[in-house]
Amino acid sequence: MLYRNRIAAGITLASVLFTGAAQAEEGKLYLFNWTEYMDPEIIEAFEERYDVEVVTNYFNSNPEMIAKLNAGGTSQYDIVVPSNYYIPRMIETGLVQKLDRALIPNFDNLMDQFKDPSFDPGAEYSAAYQWGTTGIVYNTETFPEAPKSWSLLFDPEVNGDYPFSMIQDGQVATGSACAYLVGNFQCSSLDDLKQAARLLIETKNRDNFSGFTDGTPTLQQLARGVTHVGMSFNGDYLYFKDEDPETFEHLAFIIPDEGAEMWVDSMVIPVDAPNPELAHKFIDFILDAEIGAQLSNYNYYASPNEAARPYLDEVLTQPPTQPTEDDMERLRFTPSLSGQQLQTFQQLWSEVKAR
Amino acid sequence: MNDTAVLGRSRAMVTETRHLLFTVSPGAAWIILFLVLPSAYLMGVAFMTNGPYGLPEMPLSLESFRQLAGFGFLGWSPGNLYTLLRSLWQTVVATGLVVVVAYPIAYYITTCRARWRPIMLLLVVVPSWTNQVIRTFGWMNLLAPGTPLSAAAETLGLIAPNMGLYPSNFAVTLGLVYNFLPFMVLPLYAAFEKLDTAQVEAAQDLYATPIKAFWHAVFPQTLPGLLAGVVLVAIPAFGMYVIPELLGGGKALMLGNLVANQFSGGSNWPLGAAGAILMLLATFAGLYAMRRIGKRLGGGEEVVI
Amino acid sequence: MRKRTLKRGLTGFWWLTLVFLYLPLAVVVMFSFNAANSAASMTGFSLRWYHQLFANDQIMSAFGNTLVLALASSLIALAIGCLIGYGMYRHRHRKLGWLIVLIYLPIVLPDIVFGISEMAFFVKLHELTGWFKPGLGTMIIAHVTFQIPFVALIVYSRFVGLDPTLFEAAKDLYATPIKRVVHFMLPTIKPALISAFFLSFTLSVDDFVISFFTSGPESATLPIYIWGAIKKGVSPEINAIATLMIAAVALAAVASLAINRRKA
Repeated sequence: MLYRNRIAAGITLASVLFTGAAQAEEGKLYLFNWTEYMDPEIIEAFEERYDVEVVTNYFNSNPEMIAKLNAGGTSQYDIVVPSNYYIPRMIETGLVQKLDRALIPNFDNLMDQFKDPSFDPGAEYSAAYQWGTTGIVYNTETFPEAPKSWSLLFDPEVNGDYPFSMIQDGQVATGSACAYLVGNFQCSSLDDLKQAARLLIETKNRDNFSGFTDGTPTLQQLARGVTHVGMSFNGDYLYFKDEDPETFEHLAFIIPDEGAEMWVDSMVIPVDAPNPELAHKFIDFILDAEIGAQLSNYNYYASPNEAARPYLDEVLTQPPTQPTEDDMERLRFTPSLSGQQLQTFQQLWSEVKAR
Repeated sequence: MNDTAVLGRSRAMVTETRHLLFTVSPGAAWIILFLVLPSAYLMGVAFMTNGPYGLPEMPLSLESFRQLAGFGFLGWSPGNLYTLLRSLWQTVVATGLVVVVAYPIAYYITTCRARWRPIMLLLVVVPSWTNQVIRTFGWMNLLAPGTPLSAAAETLGLIAPNMGLYPSNFAVTLGLVYNFLPFMVLPLYAAFEKLDTAQVEAAQDLYATPIKAFWHAVFPQTLPGLLAGVVLVAIPAFGMYVIPELLGGGKALMLGNLVANQFSGGSNWPLGAAGAILMLLATFAGLYAMRRIGKRLGGGEEVVI
Repeated sequence: MRKRTLKRGLTGFWWLTLVFLYLPLAVVVMFSFNAANSAASMTGFSLRWYHQLFANDQIMSAFGNTLVLALASSLIALAIGCLIGYGMYRHRHRKLGWLIVLIYLPIVLPDIVFGISEMAFFVKLHELTGWFKPGLGTMIIAHVTFQIPFVALIVYSRFVGLDPTLFEAAKDLYATPIKRVVHFMLPTIKPALISAFFLSFTLSVDDFVISFFTSGPESATLPIYIWGAIKKGVSPEINAIATLMIAAVALAAVASLAINRRKA
């Protein structure tokens, strides 16, 4: 009896789903974005304006994003939002297509430095979405006099007892180790890089290291008291603080004095995107002045949109969203690696993870 | 007369063969097309070169196997070897613990009343019907810092203060034992149920101590079940991905994670494929060894399933 | 005397083991009713996570995908596996070693190798043909692949357990092969078919690794959704979905017990 009912229910459901899927196939936009990065109201507004449906999939790190694209994702998503250091390799491997600027009149709204970024000269393939920094988030009750330094993570003298995590993305973790060792987020020589890897291995083998975690989940762990120090992003920190002010009162975000990562996430269109035309409309929609401001007001990241400035909340003009002049000088991009460099780095990183 | 009989027989043979083909070929074709070919393709990938961005490229090379053995641009490094040893160690420890728990449980069930036995077996098996992600998530809840179990371990001085029981190697072992316990209980139970009690009674008269009696009369009889259980536990444990990923927190990488990371981090498909070949070889070697031992012990039964 | 101590010790051990087996599940169920967003302490009873659950489109579509996947793959595997099972029985005197190896292959292959092979292969096929786009279709194919052996083995063992003279009798009774299949074969192996379908269904719902590697943007199943949610930072909603899945399993367990009882 049980079986029969289950089958009957299942078949009804299946037929509903299949017909539903068949109808909706036209006019869908597949968005592949970071978690907690998009205001649902913007999506609704877009859906309404163009009478389409937006299907969003989420990733937590650039490596995860590129893995999905390599595993057949290039023909499944219309818009992907990678960070600066992954864009050159996506262009070089032919994963993304050139943008048709004629379809994106709002491109002119971008600030000048985002119209010609170093990672995509002339912005031929990408359009800036948001920018931000990766710093340390720590528990102020555990560390009332925490130094503004990476030693919170890397020096057992500073934190020998409390569980901490490091960021899962190897390039960013390595950069932080570089900042701690040589005072620059970008390691320039192979020797420095090896030194950084050695530091990471030592650090991960400390008793109070709790694991490699992606930036956004790190904040959840900190909020729950699973860890007391970790690496995360400025905007996500503010976003969660706004959601749960009580818990986040005891958590602070800092940009260490040794320097840290600054990143720009940009929208790109995969080479075999199912609906490139709609993808261009979406990019144009996001680059609209008011929508751009709404986005930043929602996710607390700095906007690359010059025209959006008048509509931005005040909090976005202050640290940590807008770093101080001093901090700005020490912020660096994560280098975009290719060829031999990339393979060397990957070996170092897999060594860090395996040991 | 004779001719027609032969003809009839060969015609029957033809029909039979056609029947065999009709029944067997859809499934065989399915498995060949969707498993044998993909595996062969993956093995092919292992012999290709890792492209500049982590995807396989021509020409063919043995580079990925060199990398798997630990040789890279930076000379030899022991990371992958550690991972391999860790996988072996975790597998051996988890399998051992599973045996230690499952053996008395399986025996105990056979000593209970017949009408209770199916229910007891069901009770052991039901947790494994839930999804392994959920089961592992349950342990994450239980072992996190601040939970009663972690607090208890902390007071006993088993773990450093403020650190939970998870993530750790210990949590991974625990997760593995939890996950595979039913696979050991079932075959052991079957073995205990078939136990020849006459032999046991004779042994009790023959040997002075119960331990000796057990060793000579009971243990050999349960050995086929034990071996079947070891195969069912050790092989999937060796290639485990979910448990070390969730409970190990990046400190307790196993071979399955090493392989998966090459794909999910998008870094090196050929290396991942080479790792997969290693896993396959280990699996088949394990199966073969168990079969040989099983045969030598005179069980003669199919040990798998 | 000593025997009784042994028995008592074993009874204690049995209950301890049961606690070990059910504690993690019980904790999940308990926290699904937690009023606070905390994994460490219960602060009160609440159904808020269940409300959130049913309002979450992604979870609902993951639930639908799980059902469609399990159902479709089980039915296909049932048809194909049934044929093989019968073929293996009917021709068991021939040398079918290669077939046995082929059938055991999906069972012994480590999940991760299985999943990655299919993923790499489907990507290549999609590149070449434009078909096999990662999604429900590829997931169904992959699931059928690991279900076929179990169906085949269950059906085969059912046939082996039958009295061979039954087949002769059926031959006399029903003239055409089709009639024989409909009126004799299928009714006789019905219990095997039911348990094979049930097993296939559970295997499909239980699978994570293979689904994970063969899925596409719209085909996330519940386990994949839960995995993503865990990776993203634990949300108490996970407890609620997990509890519903545990409840489904408990229901299935009771049902299988009842069926066993009826058979006995």
